[in-house]
Amino acid sequence: MAAEHIIKSYDEELGRLNKTIVEMGGLAESQLAAAIDAVAKRDSELAVRVVEGDAKVDELERETDNLAVRILALRQPMARDLREIFAALKISSDLERICDYAANVAKRSIALAQTPPIQPVHALPRMGTLALRLVKDVIDAYIERDADKALAVWRGDEELDEMYSSLFREFLTYMMEDPRNIGPCTHLLFMAKNIERIGDHATNIAENLYYLVHGTPLTEIRPKGDKSSLEVVAPDRAAAR
Amino acid sequence: MSLSLATSNPPPSEMAMQPSANASVTPFPVKCQIKNVGFYYGKFHALKNVSLPLHDRRVTAFIGPSGCGKSTLLRILNRIYELYPNQTATGEVLVDGQDILAPGLDLNLVRAKIGMVFQKPTPFPMSIHDNVAFGIKLYERLPKSELDDRIEHALRRAALWDEVKDKLRQSGLGLSGGQQQRLCIARAIAVQPEILLLDEPASALDPISTQRIEELIAELKSDYCIAIVTHNMQQAARSSDYTAFMYLGELVEFDETEKIFTTPREKRTEDYITGRFG
Repeated sequence: MAAEHIIKSYDEELGRLNKTIVEMGGLAESQLAAAIDAVAKRDSELAVRVVEGDAKVDELERETDNLAVRILALRQPMARDLREIFAALKISSDLERICDYAANVAKRSIALAQTPPIQPVHALPRMGTLALRLVKDVIDAYIERDADKALAVWRGDEELDEMYSSLFREFLTYMMEDPRNIGPCTHLLFMAKNIERIGDHATNIAENLYYLVHGTPLTEIRPKGDKSSLEVVAPDRAAAR
Repeated sequence: MSLSLATSNPPPSEMAMQPSANASVTPFPVKCQIKNVGFYYGKFHALKNVSLPLHDRRVTAFIGPSGCGKSTLLRILNRIYELYPNQTATGEVLVDGQDILAPGLDLNLVRAKIGMVFQKPTPFPMSIHDNVAFGIKLYERLPKSELDDRIEHALRRAALWDEVKDKLRQSGLGLSGGQQQRLCIARAIAVQPEILLLDEPASALDPISTQRIEELIAELKSDYCIAIVTHNMQQAARSSDYTAFMYLGELVEFDETEKIFTTPREKRTEDYITGRFG
């Protein structure tokens, strides 16, 4: 962070805002890690804890909003201070969404655990671990105000997108092979989509962090690896695979 | 699959064509070019090599800590400093291409062209009417009806007419602080200047009067080139198009106001506007 303000309490308020975001980031990480664990180990108790833990994140988001509005009203922040607050507001809502998706993954894992294990389940934790790395890296980048690290996360999301596209095809194939797979595979598809969205929110955070540090928006076009929206799988083509 | 992935973002070449956020301030012609201006109070070098343009029909704000030279610069612009001994200015101040610091120039004509309003309201101990008439009479002999028209026009432009039209013969000293300041602005614009210099015009006023003055500045800029010195950064941000940040007699940064208050180039500017100056 930059040099201290002449008014000490201003620094304290900005520090509290920063601390709340970091705390939210820590929770996002642990919620996502636990959700992935719940899927991999078919641990429904853990999944329930993740679902319940989401309320804490919502509370922190409200706290961030209140703090930010208070600083805007009382301090009339300028330049970097203003960007700090602007970024905190946007980042906190991205973190809140990440936790929502993690909770949804956990919730679906409870349903999934009630059906016999199927082969493609193993691919999901792999994807989850990659998303977790992006979230962790972008929070580290926020703590260090490191725009280069943020940029690496922003570019890294492409790998997650590609993984999602290939999982999408894999799940479809399993569903076509055996209709009994449709139930669990539909859950898995939603879970994979949730994790893919988590990656998108990590890149949003990276963009906001980049703006915070440099004062200019990231205008490059982000590489996208998710082609599943354009995917059409006809039964005869699936049979040929 | 022949379908290509459509992206919602335009390609970079198209994006470069779009106007940036800063393009909202269209370039207005330069009314006054300050060129390598320096200033000495005796031997003290108060202003060092300051150069910047003042655009016509735009407001330029000067900000900076006490003693940074911003008021000094304003005092140079209408040569008020010449009233005091041992004060010398160097460099050029070109108003429409003519150097107003050049020796031999008629000082009264310079001041008729460049009006100034000070921090504390300075109404003369005479009626409201005579306060405004005073400046006009210095430069012109007008028939009474024309003089009265001019006074009414100036008071209207200064957003004071409705409050004083029934008491024009009463003393200007009886007005409130905010009204007195608007009276001084009316007196300055009655002479029909081209440049208006405002030195902390609202710092002695309450918030409502301050907003009236700021609204007035916004109104007046359609006709004048305005330079304002202010300690109030929010005021500079609200009412100016360009901002100059000065420190220790030097011009640190000059840019569009939006740029100065969002993404200044210089660290010293950023430290000052965010309240980090020790």
